[in-house]
Amino acid sequence: MSYVKTPNEAHKTLTERMRYLASGTKYDSCNQSAVCHAFAPDGRCIQLYKTLLTNYCSGECTYCPNRCERDTPRVSLSPDEVVKITWSFYRRNAVEGLFLSSGVIGDAENTSEKQLEVARKLRAQGFQGYIHMRLMPGTPKYLLEEIADVANKFGVNAETTSSINYSEVCPNFDYTNDVLQRLKWTKELIIEKRKEVGYGGRIIGANDTQFVVGAADESDRDIVHTVNKFMDKYDLRRPYFMSFDPVADTPLEHNTPSPQWREVRLYQTSYLLKDYGLKAKDLDEIYTDKGFLKDQDPKILLAQSNAEIFPIDINNASQQELLLVPGIGPVSASRIMQSRPINCEQELARMGVVITRARPYIKIKGRCQTNLSAFMEACS
Amino acid sequence: MIIGFRTTVEGVLLTCLKLRQLPDAQLMFAEDLEELQRKIDFAGLETDLELVGFESAASTTELIARVFGKHWNRHVKFSRRKEPDPIHFIDLVLRHADCDPSELVRTLSLSEDVPSLFSGKMQLQKRCYRCMREVNLSYQRLCMFARPAFVRGILTVDIKPEHRIEDMFCRWLARKNPDLPVAVVHGDKAWIGNGHFVGLDRFIVVTSLFMGNLEAMNVSDEVEELWDVYYDSQMIDSRRNKKHAKKFQPKAASSVSGMSMKDRYKVERGISPCKLGDFFEI
Ligand code: SF4
Repeated sequence: MSYVKTPNEAHKTLTERMRYLASGTKYDSCNQSAVCHAFAPDGRCIQLYKTLLTNYCSGECTYCPNRCERDTPRVSLSPDEVVKITWSFYRRNAVEGLFLSSGVIGDAENTSEKQLEVARKLRAQGFQGYIHMRLMPGTPKYLLEEIADVANKFGVNAETTSSINYSEVCPNFDYTNDVLQRLKWTKELIIEKRKEVGYGGRIIGANDTQFVVGAADESDRDIVHTVNKFMDKYDLRRPYFMSFDPVADTPLEHNTPSPQWREVRLYQTSYLLKDYGLKAKDLDEIYTDKGFLKDQDPKILLAQSNAEIFPIDINNASQQELLLVPGIGPVSASRIMQSRPINCEQELARMGVVITRARPYIKIKGRCQTNLSAFMEACS
Repeated sequence: MIIGFRTTVEGVLLTCLKLRQLPDAQLMFAEDLEELQRKIDFAGLETDLELVGFESAASTTELIARVFGKHWNRHVKFSRRKEPDPIHFIDLVLRHADCDPSELVRTLSLSEDVPSLFSGKMQLQKRCYRCMREVNLSYQRLCMFARPAFVRGILTVDIKPEHRIEDMFCRWLARKNPDLPVAVVHGDKAWIGNGHFVGLDRFIVVTSLFMGNLEAMNVSDEVEELWDVYYDSQMIDSRRNKKHAKKFQPKAASSVSGMSMKDRYKVERGISPCKLGDFFEI
């Protein structure tokens, strides 16, 4: 497929275009739980070369700096250029692979074809690194199937929780068909690919989607329930959240930015679903009356709202009960189960338990070892 | 009675089994027989000596099953933290610069099961666990921050690890780049991976002088500037978290390569928002 440059990008160098397009994905998370190679000054790790193929877009998403009506420099990288940069970073051990997203070039089919072209070229050249593709809503099924052959992870962003909200922020796409249907197909393809014996040793990541937090009016409770639904229905393992930040010259430019802590608390809450075996309904007590999270650790809030079950006996509690204790995570809970009887706090600390948090909620050998200040500290 | 053993995983496991039969035996270790002989001569020892691990071809999985029982890998399967299996554990401890292999053998022979190696209550177990973690950490840091470059077509990296992990890192780099010869240079030695591309064995240790004579295809490499641009583009200024970033991009580890050192500098000082080139942009 030939690649056509838009008129106002001809004078940009590769470095300049690369800068524009890489900063277009800086809010996207690409965690693939492999080797991180660098950490940006904001503390987030860099594992992949993240880029848009182009910031030219025919979409009109209300929060997006790349929406078609916005006056901004438009640039693109050709598939060959993306391939070249990915190889160069990969060879220098600066990344583990590529995260590729894009603005909509005409339609979803055309865009995904270009993304597929990049991945295919890389694989044809023997690239064994990780390829994560954020696809356009409405990507046809046949392309998803072809992408599943070359990418390690791929998915469509849900952005929000319902058709009504979605039609407000992404007016060009249909939530049920363009997003949910694609999530379903992605799930089926992942299951199929994982079943294929000796699948080139390639890791097949779980279904993947991202929410823009604060662009629409959805509450945190809605988001958490949606995440839970996606986990059950589409095998979503880990949702990504991106805080809404108003962009000048967009319909939402005067909206209030979503506070940074909201994204953090949503991540913490999603871990309770992912790693602690909780369901969204178990967390209904932790929200404000309007359904928003408070800027406090959701696990502590959950423990406080279930105060009657504490303190639990560390030597008799089930793994599920241990997981409800602030300061005890899945690793330390399984270590406790394996190393019983536990005689003192020091033993727990060695297993990775955060004692100052856990102390008010546990008893060891029948003894509670809390005091008021520890309790206040745990509550704060 | 002295047990003289070879400092390999196999040697350690065999010695551990022997020590359980002869708990009063003294231990002496060496990398090969000549070194052992020198040590014995130096110490002037004249007691019975039993050599362990210098010839045997026993399988490490069989040996570990004899030491810890047939469910030896159960702990690793069920542990949610990515702990190494006990074979890898022993290998990592042996690579520690301050490793005392006799201490490792004693620790293993006193440990009833695998979990006690990881959540050990004895001082010896804790020490071995710490050694394992330190070696693992320095290996992971190399995988993160080393930045090889093409030297006459060989993807080459110069490293100065605190522990003996050059071969481990070389194998990792070779796995990551299976279509290229790779070289890990430390002092006057070079570990070559995928050596068949340059007419050598797949994995071989040579002198760095020898490496200088190797020829392979030339590949151009002008990546640092692009990386700087990319790295700078990923920073979200409003979210700057210096403490967090410094923790993950530690100063000591970043000195592994010039590129990560530069990244670390930016973590420390921030990224200048204004460069000369910006004046010429629209
Ligand atoms: S489709 Fe993507 S790039 Fe285009 S406006 Fe919507 S969010 Fe932005």
